[in-house]
Amino acid sequence: MPTVTFLPGFRKTEVKSGSTLLQAAQQAGIHMNVVCGGLGKCGKCTVYVKSGRYDFDCEKFGKFFSPEELDAGACLACQTSVLEDVRVLIPEESIVQEQKILIDVMGISTELNPAVWKYALTLSPPSLDDPSPDLTRLLWGIEKAGGPKEGDIYAPLEVIRRIPRVLRESGWKVTATVVLVPGGYRLIDIEKGDTSPACYGAAVDLGTTTVVVFIRNLIDGSIMGVASNYNRQISCGEDILSRVTFARKGGLKKLQSLAAESINAAITEAANKAGVDREHIYEVVVAGNTIMTHILMGIDPAYMIEEPYVPVVRRYLTAAAGRAGLEVGEDSGLFIFPAVSDFIGGDIIADILASGMAESEEISLLIDIGTNFEVVLGNRDWMFACAGAAGPALEGGEVLFGMRANAGAIEQISLDLETLTPAYRTIRHTKPKGLCGSGLIDLLAELLRACIIDRTGRINTAIDHERIRAGRQVPEFVVAWKEETGIGKDIVITENDVKALIMSKASILAACRTLMNQAGITRDEIAHIYFSGAFGNYISKENAIVIGLIPEVPVERITPIGNGAIEGANLVLLNRRKKKFLDEIARKIAYIELNAEPSFMDEYTGSCFLPHTDLSLFPTVEEMLGKCRMRRGVP
Amino acid sequence: MTLSTLSDWTGEVGTVTIGALKADGGTRSTTVTIGGERDLSFIGSPPTGHRPLIAFELCDDPSLWPAPVTKFLGDRASDPAEWARWAGQEYAPDLIRLFLTSTRRRGFSDFASVTTTVENVLQATGLPLIIEGSNDPELDSEVFRRIGEAGEGERLLIGTAEAARYRSIAASAMAYGHLVIAQSPIDINLAKQLNILLREIGLPHDRIVIDPYTGALGYGFEYSYSVMERIRYAALKGDEDLAMPMISSAIDSLTVKEVREADPSGIEKISVAWELYAMLPATIAGASIVCVRHPSTILPLRAGIDAFWPAPSGGGGA
Repeated sequence: MPTVTFLPGFRKTEVKSGSTLLQAAQQAGIHMNVVCGGLGKCGKCTVYVKSGRYDFDCEKFGKFFSPEELDAGACLACQTSVLEDVRVLIPEESIVQEQKILIDVMGISTELNPAVWKYALTLSPPSLDDPSPDLTRLLWGIEKAGGPKEGDIYAPLEVIRRIPRVLRESGWKVTATVVLVPGGYRLIDIEKGDTSPACYGAAVDLGTTTVVVFIRNLIDGSIMGVASNYNRQISCGEDILSRVTFARKGGLKKLQSLAAESINAAITEAANKAGVDREHIYEVVVAGNTIMTHILMGIDPAYMIEEPYVPVVRRYLTAAAGRAGLEVGEDSGLFIFPAVSDFIGGDIIADILASGMAESEEISLLIDIGTNFEVVLGNRDWMFACAGAAGPALEGGEVLFGMRANAGAIEQISLDLETLTPAYRTIRHTKPKGLCGSGLIDLLAELLRACIIDRTGRINTAIDHERIRAGRQVPEFVVAWKEETGIGKDIVITENDVKALIMSKASILAACRTLMNQAGITRDEIAHIYFSGAFGNYISKENAIVIGLIPEVPVERITPIGNGAIEGANLVLLNRRKKKFLDEIARKIAYIELNAEPSFMDEYTGSCFLPHTDLSLFPTVEEMLGKCRMRRGVP
Repeated sequence: MTLSTLSDWTGEVGTVTIGALKADGGTRSTTVTIGGERDLSFIGSPPTGHRPLIAFELCDDPSLWPAPVTKFLGDRASDPAEWARWAGQEYAPDLIRLFLTSTRRRGFSDFASVTTTVENVLQATGLPLIIEGSNDPELDSEVFRRIGEAGEGERLLIGTAEAARYRSIAASAMAYGHLVIAQSPIDINLAKQLNILLREIGLPHDRIVIDPYTGALGYGFEYSYSVMERIRYAALKGDEDLAMPMISSAIDSLTVKEVREADPSGIEKISVAWELYAMLPATIAGASIVCVRHPSTILPLRAGIDAFWPAPSGGGGA
């Protein structure tokens, strides 16, 4: 079998002749960018074959490369077959980059009511006078120690098999672990000696892109360790649709194990940091979108992406963690958040729980922004929710110099309104390579303030300024000159980029407005706007309003809740009583299908304007923009 | 039961005057005023505002004009000035709408001809003029400057501004004292957006006429009808960015398959029918200016408008 050597790390792997370089990379544990899911459409998995025979259709896929690049052996990893030993250089940009992932050590205040108890027991050995069986003896011991009644505890076979030896080898000093699952109490472990302080649980946010894990001490609620990494499914496609497509082509098993692997890796990292034995993690609570949780549980997600968009299951799920391939205590509990629909998943229920909006009388608007967005409006009595596609522009996709929030991304920017000179800050303070979502929102607002773009996003080329130029196809504004960047070329924002951003923001604002109309709520009645997700933590609230990404409310009403999914999962892990509440929340939500809502298109077109066609919805923005126009000498 | 909605509205459509008499610095023999409606048409109350007017459309390059019209006109079609003079005299439309179709030919560069054509047509007719320039952003600036300059003082209605290209037209209108047609593709939001854009670069609302874009019968007309109604509603409800009178021209009426493939002997009749049955309903939907290309459509359209809006001498309820 040919050997593939990946440079610069010299990682080696053997593959069958004819395998793709992408398969080889996956096998070698290298996570490559595969936005299109390996269809040869995105051009992101570029590699350079340095030596060896391989098969790559330059005619068909050459469009991604310049002739010089092709000469240097450029090809797409997903479309290149290995014929003999090859050495392959993977450029940095083809590898999934470490991203700015939100880890909040949030101050959760909830009653501590975990679903796990450990009982350190000293039992009297059996005798002819007291010949009761081992299991009965153990369960009686639990009851005596204040635990559930002997008859109420179910003991699975696997545990029963271990009981006699552990009891005798330990000299009848053992620790028993009991969890409360929907079926009742369950004995899940028996250990020698007193291990009762080692009682932990894991809260997991299983996102399409990232996985975040918190390990918590279930005796005092403290945080033991936190870790995050990429969802390894990224190597099977970056967005959720390409994952489902991959699953449909027989890839469900692989996706399932990658999901479990991703969680395991994060749990291991967090456990190692904290000095926690993974076997002592007795409950894992997972919040994720409906497709991610289906995949983790090995349930076919295929029917969710075609009409009539039906998930297999909506209620919360429980299982033994081992059955999902999670490497914690074999019989530990696994709790999966319930969902509302295929588009409103457990992550959103977790957001709602974390925001507290379901317990308040005040009306809140919760917005979770990613490539897909979800919006929830309501209070403790009623809730409307909707979901849609915002396009990748706000995450830096489909924008010429857009990028994810990696090192070198401009995350904050302002313009001097006189000289039009930008002042910006990049992630890790390196030379700029591009703009990420928060930077793009700032830039859009600033271009509007400076009257460089009009309200439809058109760049006014009549302005005589070196930064405003005709561009190759469409007009552009120079954000950073070649000399100051880390990529050796000017970083610009084009009129097309601006339009893509406007369309993205418009779909989110239109969704908010559609729910508000549905509920008969005006912006004044919104007491809180919660931003969920990493995005919400880094964007400027003012600029989000200036461009009309969200309805205009006083900025102090806007609160980023960070990673609401992990926060919600933590809450449920610490307080089992919240589990019932989740189903209550899920039942309360009325899902509005935007495609079936005739007014949505109208709202969308109205929102494709900065900030909105109905200027009266943004009174303070209007006042500010009026002043800007005066200053720029525009009447 | 009679429905009266009149008292419910808080807004009204603004008025726009097209053309300038000698006293006002122009050379027109008449001017027209449109707009001023305070109600929907024919909802339980007599029509308010100025009566709808008819604009007759012609062009300076007849090869880009519908065949039923050019055949009907014969040699006249080769001279826009004569075309305008003759139509004004024989058919008495309220306005002449000149399309500078020559600028839409590939490689157009004869900017001097723009000036000449506009001047000639201005001389040939005393009616107020609507002038349609290029629709290529590369040419717009020069073409609209020429139009503006040639018609300085005449208070022309010039078109067509769209969201993608409105600066040159607005600049010309502001520099030379003209009015602007603001066209958007059958959408009330887009119509409003363009009016805001124009306002923000300094063109006042009383110099804008909305063209909501009109599809031919069976080719989208019902959407146009509905958008015109919605724009009117918005204006009556007090939305000042939509409170302008509207112009409607079902430009494709004479190039639809049904007309193209009509029997030659009945071509005039069918041409008139396609124009008439789009433009008469457009007046009901709220259009202040309706446009036709076939001269024979003007008389029946006039009769229709007179039937709905009696007392032609009074200029409606204004």
